[in-house]
Amino acid sequence: MSAVLAIAGRELRAFFLTPGGYVIAALYMLVNGWLFVRYVFNPGELATLRPVFTFSMLAFMLICPAVTMRMISEELRLGTIETLLTSPVRSADIIFGKYLAALGFLALLLVPTLVFVVALEIYGRPDYGELACGYLGVLLAGSVYLASGILASTLTASQVVAYLITVLFWIIVLLGTKGVLQTDVLPVAWQERVGDVVLAADPTTRLIDFAIGLFDSAHVVYFGSLTLVLLIGSVGLLESRRWR
Amino acid sequence: MISAQRLTKKFGIFPAVDSVDFEIGKGEVVGFLGPNGAGKTTTIRMICGYLRPTEGRVLVDGNDMAVEPRRGQRQIGYLPESAPLYTEMRVDEYLAFRAKLFGVPPRTRGRAIGEAVERCSLGEVRRRPISQLSKGYRQRVGLAATLVHQPPILILDEPTSGLDPTQIREVRRLIRELAGNHTILLSTHNLAEVELTCDRVIILARGRVRAAGTIDQLREEAAGESRYVVESDATGASQALEALPGVGSVERAGGEGRWHRFTVTGHNGTQDLREAIAKAIAQTGGSVRELHREAPTLERLFVRIMEEPEGDT
Repeated sequence: MSAVLAIAGRELRAFFLTPGGYVIAALYMLVNGWLFVRYVFNPGELATLRPVFTFSMLAFMLICPAVTMRMISEELRLGTIETLLTSPVRSADIIFGKYLAALGFLALLLVPTLVFVVALEIYGRPDYGELACGYLGVLLAGSVYLASGILASTLTASQVVAYLITVLFWIIVLLGTKGVLQTDVLPVAWQERVGDVVLAADPTTRLIDFAIGLFDSAHVVYFGSLTLVLLIGSVGLLESRRWR
Repeated sequence: MISAQRLTKKFGIFPAVDSVDFEIGKGEVVGFLGPNGAGKTTTIRMICGYLRPTEGRVLVDGNDMAVEPRRGQRQIGYLPESAPLYTEMRVDEYLAFRAKLFGVPPRTRGRAIGEAVERCSLGEVRRRPISQLSKGYRQRVGLAATLVHQPPILILDEPTSGLDPTQIREVRRLIRELAGNHTILLSTHNLAEVELTCDRVIILARGRVRAAGTIDQLREEAAGESRYVVESDATGASQALEALPGVGSVERAGGEGRWHRFTVTGHNGTQDLREAIAKAIAQTGGSVRELHREAPTLERLFVRIMEEPEGDT
């Protein structure tokens, strides 16, 4: 466990030693602040953070792959992966440590939004259950995006390729599953047969539930197990490098 | 401490390492010598558990690396080629990170890092980010990182490649210091390095062990024939030398004025022909102004091994 924490700690520090982390945090806060002031912070408006949560779920689709793209790719490119894989640490510890760091960074990203909660408390009567549910949804969405980003990062030594694989994958899912965007890109003949399956795999509609404060344990299981499967896949891919 | 048994690694169908066997005992300093692409790095990576062998196995301090890789890895301090480091970290941060990875308990961590820093003379750059350090310093940071968990075995892959002569001397001095209480496997394609730092040599070429033994043993093997340089003014020197028992060939190698220079090759590397050569020339009535035996070098053995045709062991 101490190895996991050592790896997570190193990764988390790396965000703050490189400009990338600050750029991401600044842009994210800027858009959130604008959304809050424009759509929430008005007389007579509901005391919720729905616009912030909905935006976050989509923004995380772009932010998370940027957070994770470096994680394994950079180690592969610099050769530091060799020092990691020859230390007495399991591949699972490496992947889990990096995942924890990424999730930690995401959580830190959400901390400034607590200002909005304070504002809601001062000027209105927010439903804390709904807010908690929203934050949980954002973190669960982030967790899946991060896990998929880590998987892509184990595939290639190029950060750009890792980023594009992840983002394109989720764009395809977003378009193909007829979720929030209500698109119909599946071939017509498939829509009936495949439609249900694809809809079940769609994360966005589930995320909307969280944003409006609808807690469904099925959603939690969905995001939790998807994260787990992606992380296990990453461990397998990392371990497979030893057999090449 | 390290035992490689019929170690084989194939990339596709190409065998990068082919049935390599060797043993390295406690406290030995062994040089792993071979041209680029001989399979040194691949073999080392299998020993350290970075790559899994296609066939054969590695025991590190009695631990089978296929069964208990982490036990073996704890015994090894491994410096990969070109010393990859996290350049955004400071030197002591990086060493602390490595100590945590290897499970050095918090109580002894500070002291272990301090010792590694002192050993590698990193005191003045301890707080500097690695990105600001020169190649020589980085190599030393890499070495210090292999020492923080105080492993009995050090495996160094080309530790001096890419360094300038002063840095090379510095790193070699460090290796010799560490040799006292570590088992060291050092890979290099530099012959002088092996002769300066190692007790024993394993020569690898095209994925196979071509020769192994102490430096003196290999020198003798290299001496399969002996070579002498003779400079004489005797007119019949060439014929007189050729007539000597044990002489294989006599070659003219220039000269100046009345002096002729010859290179004499003897059949037997262990037999010293100098006395016989001097006497033979004296009998012709000429004089000798130079006569010396060329010490057999590892380089000759190395070159001979490299020139051996494919598939010949």
